[in-house]
Amino acid sequence: MNRLKFFAALAGVVISAPAQAQSASDSADFAVVGNVPAICVGGSVTEAGGIFDLGILVDTTTGFLRSDLSAPSQVLAGSFCSSRSSIAVAATPVVAQTFTATAPTGFSRSVDFTATAAGWTTIPASFSTASASNPAAIQQRTTAFSGPITVNIGDFATTGGTGLRLVADTSYRGTVTVTLTPES
Amino acid sequence: MKSALFKSSLLMLPLYGMAAPASAQETASETASGQVAVTGSVARLCILGEPSRAVVDLGQMVQTSGASVGRIAALATQSVSLPGSFCNFAGSVLGVSATALLGDSAIAPPAGFSRAVNYTATATGWGNSDTAATTNAAVDGASPDSAATGSTQPSPKLGDIEVALSSFSAPQNALLVAGNYSGLVTVTLGPVPVTE
Repeated sequence: MNRLKFFAALAGVVISAPAQAQSASDSADFAVVGNVPAICVGGSVTEAGGIFDLGILVDTTTGFLRSDLSAPSQVLAGSFCSSRSSIAVAATPVVAQTFTATAPTGFSRSVDFTATAAGWTTIPASFSTASASNPAAIQQRTTAFSGPITVNIGDFATTGGTGLRLVADTSYRGTVTVTLTPES
Repeated sequence: MKSALFKSSLLMLPLYGMAAPASAQETASETASGQVAVTGSVARLCILGEPSRAVVDLGQMVQTSGASVGRIAALATQSVSLPGSFCNFAGSVLGVSATALLGDSAIAPPAGFSRAVNYTATATGWGNSDTAATTNAAVDGASPDSAATGSTQPSPKLGDIEVALSSFSAPQNALLVAGNYSGLVTVTLGPVPVTE
């Protein structure tokens, strides 16, 4: 009788073994981490070598600034920011490069204009060289973005007033600078 | 013939006679013997060694200059060891599950961007072949999980399990949104799953 009980107990152990096998596994975790810094790339100007060529600035019959000045847009292709960002546009007037002396009375050696950078933000960033302050020159974007920035110039005006004529010079030059800045 | 029969019975007699003293001794003695079996069992057990690295830090993951600026750089293969892992029974199997690295910015990435980095986690040292799980998350981080089960280890085994993380890539080789990224690799060692 004792022996019978013993075998019964043994059988119980054998039966319970498969149940233990269900928890015979082990697992281990490890995290994989990395980071991406905030990067902005301005891209490259793809048209006409990056120059707004206005041609002859004056109406040759009057000597005043032409009223129909224009230049094709310049596109900054491949621009992106990997985080929220701001776009800023700045410009310097188109100034006579050879005639560096003060312009005589009735003349000016500088042309003001407004530069705009569109495509990045809902409201394009714009900068007027004639304005003392340009609050619209910096615009924010809350998300990462990749896309072309179209830069336009317009609203040309002779510095000092429309009644002034421009001094003759073979080279008038100004600049437009577009800056993308990542923001944290 | 008769004499032959007689001879054979004579030969058997001493055998009976010798057997008798043995039984006489048992009854005469006061001792008794019995048998008690000693048994035990060993549970089926699999234990993984502590990972050699609790965190695999890839650091900064994108190129910061050149034609592919902002896109994922060529990241070196990362290795993690689980030393002294064992299963004390035949028929164990290694499983690897991997979750793609996802950026901490949960908003949907703008066109041209990704917030996921995929990779392949390959575990070696168990069974006859490697166990590799390759994540295939989308640019917005959807479906980041991947799992793989290796071949059966036919005998109990003690050894090191090596996990290699390689082939880091961004979906569509998109630009990566700035931020901190994290993923997870889980290694599981256990019995071959029974399909019911």
